[in-house]
Amino acid sequence: MKLHYYPGCTLKEKATALDNSTREAMKRLDVELVEPEDWTCCGAEYPLTEEKIVGLAAPVRVLRQVRDEGGDILVTTCSFCYAVLKRANKAVQDDPLKHKRINAFLRDDIKIDPLTKDRTTDFEDYNGEVQVVHLLEYLRDKVGYPKIRSRLKRDLRGLAVAPYYGCRLLRPQEEMAFDEPDAPRVFEDFLEAVGCAAVDYAFKQECCGSYLSVSLPDAATEASYRVLRSALMDGAKAVAVTCPLCFYNMDGRQAAVKEKFLDFGGLPVLYFTQLLAWALGVDREALGLGEHAVPADGLFEEVPMTEVRT
Amino acid sequence: MTEKPKKKEDKRIGLFVCHCGVNIAGVVDVKKVAESLKDIPGVTVSTDYVYMCSDPGQQMIIDTIKEKHLDGIIVAACSPTLHEKTFQEAAKLAGLNPYQIEIANIREQNSWVHSDKDKATKKAVKICKSHVAKALQNENLEPIKVDVTRRALVIGGGVSGLQAALDIADHGYEVILVEKNPSIGGKMIQLSETFPTLDCSQCILTPKMVEVSRHPRIKLLTCHEVDSVSGFIGNFKVRIKKKPRFVDEKLCNLCGECEKVCPQIVPDEFNMGLSFRKAIYMPFPQAIPGTYTLDAEHCLGLSPVRCGKCKDVCEPRAIDFDMKETIIEEEVGAIVVATGYDLYTMQALGEFGGEKYEDAINGLEFERILSASGPTGGVVRRPSDGKIPKSVVFVQCCGSRDTEKHLPYCSKICCMYTAKHAMLYKHRVPDGQATVFYIDVRTGGKAFDEFYQRTVEEDKVLYIRGKVSKIFKEGDKLVVWGVDTLTGKKVEIEADMVVLAMAMVKTEGVQDLLKKLKIATDIHGFVAEAHPKLRPVESLNAGFFLAGCAHGPKDIPEAVSQASAAAAKVGDLFAQKELSHEPTVVPVNDELCSGCGICITMCPYGARTLDPSKGVVVVNEILCEGCGACAAACPSGAAQQRNQTDDQIFSMLRAMLRE
Repeated sequence: MKLHYYPGCTLKEKATALDNSTREAMKRLDVELVEPEDWTCCGAEYPLTEEKIVGLAAPVRVLRQVRDEGGDILVTTCSFCYAVLKRANKAVQDDPLKHKRINAFLRDDIKIDPLTKDRTTDFEDYNGEVQVVHLLEYLRDKVGYPKIRSRLKRDLRGLAVAPYYGCRLLRPQEEMAFDEPDAPRVFEDFLEAVGCAAVDYAFKQECCGSYLSVSLPDAATEASYRVLRSALMDGAKAVAVTCPLCFYNMDGRQAAVKEKFLDFGGLPVLYFTQLLAWALGVDREALGLGEHAVPADGLFEEVPMTEVRT
Repeated sequence: MTEKPKKKEDKRIGLFVCHCGVNIAGVVDVKKVAESLKDIPGVTVSTDYVYMCSDPGQQMIIDTIKEKHLDGIIVAACSPTLHEKTFQEAAKLAGLNPYQIEIANIREQNSWVHSDKDKATKKAVKICKSHVAKALQNENLEPIKVDVTRRALVIGGGVSGLQAALDIADHGYEVILVEKNPSIGGKMIQLSETFPTLDCSQCILTPKMVEVSRHPRIKLLTCHEVDSVSGFIGNFKVRIKKKPRFVDEKLCNLCGECEKVCPQIVPDEFNMGLSFRKAIYMPFPQAIPGTYTLDAEHCLGLSPVRCGKCKDVCEPRAIDFDMKETIIEEEVGAIVVATGYDLYTMQALGEFGGEKYEDAINGLEFERILSASGPTGGVVRRPSDGKIPKSVVFVQCCGSRDTEKHLPYCSKICCMYTAKHAMLYKHRVPDGQATVFYIDVRTGGKAFDEFYQRTVEEDKVLYIRGKVSKIFKEGDKLVVWGVDTLTGKKVEIEADMVVLAMAMVKTEGVQDLLKKLKIATDIHGFVAEAHPKLRPVESLNAGFFLAGCAHGPKDIPEAVSQASAAAAKVGDLFAQKELSHEPTVVPVNDELCSGCGICITMCPYGARTLDPSKGVVVVNEILCEGCGACAAACPSGAAQQRNQTDDQIFSMLRAMLRE
């Protein structure tokens, strides 16, 4: 089946490992991911931080495109894209004034017919028809863990992985409606479904440092260290993330972390889709392990699945 | 009702418009209202006065009724819930049937909610006109009389239930006290010491428990649950379920041999799961009745074939595996609901780890740890490893006063018990550090603030104003993240143990019973009082009285006062020779009733039944509360409420809508 998928800019540049592993894994679950035509940047968090409505036009334009292509679900993996698209969608649904003004902006959009090259501005108002879903939710609710378990090709042998939610998936609770923000389960359940053991640790919802890695790199280093240390102390062999920025901070900054905190020995950081893809039998080369600053190759042991887990 | 009713055309009606100071007269032109009604057919006299409810106001009404030979009056004033009785009594003094009194509410439903003087005055005129139309058709009615069963049922054997039962029994009436647990004592018997005097909770409660068990007029039923209640004030029929104890309490001599041989070990509820008991057990040494109880849920099988060890060693042959659940029936005249409270579940506080951390405990668990009879013998030890905690953080308002995520109300007792906890901790561990996070400290009570000051000044407990955002485990410590809102700084404390002052909530286990009793509850599930200020211990459902935390969070002195008040109210009821029931009920006109039974399904009080021989509905007038639901639903017009007939309602509408 076909499913609309919004990779977002980072997945086309710095986080191709996340993009590729997602595509490969979903293929093995009989889902073909289709990108909406002519998609643009979601705004990467900024539209949510200011009152101006024009910023929301970009994510809503993407959603309108999905609707016009006949899609009713749009799946994302990047936490920031997910938050921006979902909250922009909700603003259109709940706030009549925003609905009116965003659609007024979007009416000036120009559509070019790929065959005739005719230019039109013939758009219908977008009313929030598309449902924005994170891949973790899609795997839980639409694919289902039993199906994932039945397709497993490799045994991850209960690898201790710390699920890292970060800041964007869970809050604000009413808008994201992703999981219980103080005691979430979805990431843990996913990890257990692919054969890992989910590590319960205290910092799974704390900040990784986010954009502070630009303005205050030291603060980001410390924030990443706290998360990594907490996971390590509770026995994690790796941290799994959904967000390219979390990955950048926690994987990319580990050299700085080690320099600043001498007690820290290093901890590989993975995208959750790399674990999924590997467990489903995707080749090592397609996982994009070359993008990791902290080598993670050792975690991907070739152990064939001997029996179907129930 | 011997007097022949007057025809509508001949009736002489008086209208009395009240100013209520400026409450009404500030918005409504009362003189104009009285003036406008003068010429309405049937109105003999129409006047106004500053306070109709005052003595001179009432006297004016009495005099006018006599002088003008009035057959009915309308008092245009406040809501009938306030002064209808006053004016009915005044009318009686003037020789008028009290059911010829109409109250036109021009305050709550008019002057208090409007500001446009002109429009409000017009509305007041319309309201008064409609009541004139109704008054012309009112009939003389007499209250329905009914006997009283002078016997009370108290549900719940905590401190409130015990006090209510003792007081009613001391008034000279019989009481049935029903408690679902094996022993009476409730939550109070689990407490260590009580604020602000630090009396030992058990020491002050056990004498009351003994008194209840020995009182000749109290029938104590533990391991019993109220199954259903039917009937009405003064005449309830109660079905009580007797849950098998599997031990004959009369034969059991407390030798304890059974407990020694029982192989089943289960968490002890009395110690909040901090210690263990056997499947055959005594809840606590002073339990009343003093007998062992077999917990069927955890027993290996209630069968000598499967285990039966306890039965073999029981010398007095008190253990009987064949006991069955039975139902007993009792007749009572009044019911006191004292079903207590529960603590808000820690699972709801995910940011504090839910129930994940053994050393993050609730207030009641800490009470057991402090208690001399508790699992640690009164030594403060933390549950995980039994170490004496050198740093304890107390968090107030866990679930309380959080409009966004949890409960909006204040649980009232937590400020005081947290101060007590911190103080007692410091007494037991003088070199320990106690830190309290609070929103604000509420100490409204006799000698309460002095107690709190002592905690801060003498016992050096550190109070931090701010909320806690997160608690997590690091090594064998619990790290508490909070904020000090007085300095604006973030606070991080490494604690050995955390005590959470969980909110008080409704008792989940009695919600079904309350539904069956049809007792009104508030939005949080606590039993609602009839009036928040003036009828605080009665339910709106006649014959039901409230005591203790079933009604809302309260401390021991308050719960005891309320229990005594409820008992006094029961005494009031029982002191009456007979009860009067409002006659404004909804009888059935046999000629019109088709026996369709729609009204039976509408009736919330079970007052209507189908008479199969006649094929019509019959009404138990005592049960009918006059809500009118049946009258509205009746398709044939056979159900007509007295003094509120369809005819009257349509006349009122016509009077109101005619310009």
